Amino acid sequence: MEFTKLFSQSEVERVHEASLEILENVGMLVRNQKAMEIFSKNGCQVDMETMMVKFPREVVEKARKTFVPTYTFTAQDPKFDVTMPGDRPIVVTGSSAPNIIDPETGEERRATSDDIANIAYLINELPGFDVFSISTLAEDAPEGQFSLSRFYPALKNCKKPVRSNTPNMEDLKAVLDLGALIAGGEEEYRKRPFINHHYCPVVSPLTFDVDSTEAVIYLIEQGLPVYGTIVPNAGMTSPLSLMGTLTLGNAEFLGLATLTQMIRPGAPMIYAVLSTVADMRTGAYAPGAIETGMLQMAHTEMARFYNVPSGGYIGLTNAHSNDAQSGYETGMNTTGALLAGADLFNMGGLLGSLMAFDFAKAVIDNEIALMLKRMKKGFEYNEENLCLDLIAKVGPGGSYMDLDHTMKNMRTIAVLPKVATREMRRRWEDQGKPDAHSRAMKEAAKILSKPNKSRFSEELDAKVRGHFKGLVAGDAKWGI
Amino acid sequence: MSVQTIYDAVIEFNIDKVVSLVEAEIKIGTDVSEILSNGLIGAMDEVGQRYSEGEFFVPEMLMAAKAMKAGLEVLKPLLSHGESEKKGTIIIGTVKGDLHDIGKNLVSMMMEGAGFEVYDLGVDVDTEKFLATAKEKKADVICMSALLTTTMPFMEVTVKAIREQGLSFKTMVGGAPVSEDFAKKIGADGWSTDAPGAVETARKLTAK
Repeated sequence: MEFTKLFSQSEVERVHEASLEILENVGMLVRNQKAMEIFSKNGCQVDMETMMVKFPREVVEKARKTFVPTYTFTAQDPKFDVTMPGDRPIVVTGSSAPNIIDPETGEERRATSDDIANIAYLINELPGFDVFSISTLAEDAPEGQFSLSRFYPALKNCKKPVRSNTPNMEDLKAVLDLGALIAGGEEEYRKRPFINHHYCPVVSPLTFDVDSTEAVIYLIEQGLPVYGTIVPNAGMTSPLSLMGTLTLGNAEFLGLATLTQMIRPGAPMIYAVLSTVADMRTGAYAPGAIETGMLQMAHTEMARFYNVPSGGYIGLTNAHSNDAQSGYETGMNTTGALLAGADLFNMGGLLGSLMAFDFAKAVIDNEIALMLKRMKKGFEYNEENLCLDLIAKVGPGGSYMDLDHTMKNMRTIAVLPKVATREMRRRWEDQGKPDAHSRAMKEAAKILSKPNKSRFSEELDAKVRGHFKGLVAGDAKWGI
Repeated sequence: MSVQTIYDAVIEFNIDKVVSLVEAEIKIGTDVSEILSNGLIGAMDEVGQRYSEGEFFVPEMLMAAKAMKAGLEVLKPLLSHGESEKKGTIIIGTVKGDLHDIGKNLVSMMMEGAGFEVYDLGVDVDTEKFLATAKEKKADVICMSALLTTTMPFMEVTVKAIREQGLSFKTMVGGAPVSEDFAKKIGADGWSTDAPGAVETARKLTAK
């Protein structure tokens, strides 16, 4: 499959050059002490007073030499390990929404650790999803267990790679303890680190924050998996032009990538973004806008220039229900990104611009994910697939229905959707005119009303619960 | 020349014109509080109105607030002590761990535009700093902003601390992930979706 290209080679090189100019002349504000020291030690001009760091171009170019082209998400169960770019597209849930649409009442409410357990189980079972980024916060978290109350139900109910963030070093270390406990020791855990850390250490424009940067530095030093997403918002935190935002975001990626490679040359990275254009009428955040897809496509082209995997939060929606808007925003933006060659799609399950998880949205996004994967698989060009023999054999006026060839391909050649309807209208009316949302809720219920076979063993669970006193229950249960 | 021209210049976002018109009005002896109320604050009320109706976009609201602030700076030395304190004193900042401050800055500007005494503590502000400044400045309202869902819990920490220490500061919360339900749940006194709404809420909370 040939990827869509938005720019000529010289235009791509100009964006790179312009990014170097920004880093060299404007620089970045680095609010984290350790990061400043690392930059200082490795050839940047650092003003410890103002916390301004300027990057000579040769420093950035040196970091570029140790970029690596692959990134792996490790799972508790090795059969779910995925590596980019080979396994692309990697489809991931959207994460850290404070709210959930209650599956029973349909009303938005704060999410809990029980919800995370249900979501984890659902994502474990939906084949379109490759990575479970913990979709919500847990409002019932006991004091001091903000992050444990998210990671425990997630890891307990999902064997796919689990991804999320932590707000501070204490929480990060507690989560790593949990990982070691599950793996049967720290050394075992390090062999297969199945918690995949993610942060947004760069706050646009051109600023490294304190806490996320601290976590990123620690994880890179430890050789544990971590990557960051760059999140400029045109008109607010970046110029109100697509080129300006692409270039600023690219400079910010290079700043983070330079820090990463200074700490551990060859540390895997993802060129991940959520570049958006703000709705200037109100300042509203608009991740579902078409410009988000366009910017993702352009960043992906830059990532290909650097030969690193790319992607980000792409396929989000501003819609508050599973309506037409929710479908076209997720559908159009992810299609654009896929055609441009993006590897990673943080897209599943969230409504209202990352504010609320919805079970039906996750099931619909699973179907969109399967369609994207189908598109990526493409036409499988070869002589045999031209089917010239068959065409000659059936001839004009015949049928392909009863051929072995058809029998062999009928379950694999097309996506067989569970949400999209292909019924005739009359039959659909007889079924009570179910819309995509209600069909998707039915699929979620079908999965979640059965017991979770992938859950922790009783023995492991007892061990974890013994270590962390007062943990939330973290069990998937579906009452509908 | 009249106070109306100042009003118009704010709505035209013309900083230089606002400054020179305010200076001119002072020179001819126009009442300072007349310039403030009917010229500057009155104009910002209209800006908030036009924004709510969808006519003004956010950058226009911001530019008007800047023009208003420039006029206010000229006026400040002449304001009788207590002129701005009458409206109320506001402490504002983004909560601990959160550096996202665009919304907060806009609210801060609009609060100043409405005549409040505003102390903007910037970003990454912890409970101790909010409270210490509020005590020192005898604040009426502490305004906390967050963009990250993971930093929102720090709002509750501050609200709780105010209760526990028996302090009388009112609290307001805002930022993309903050909802009315969340504000109620953590016991904050006020909440708003946008900057003009925040001004309205602050007015209610400080009404004496």
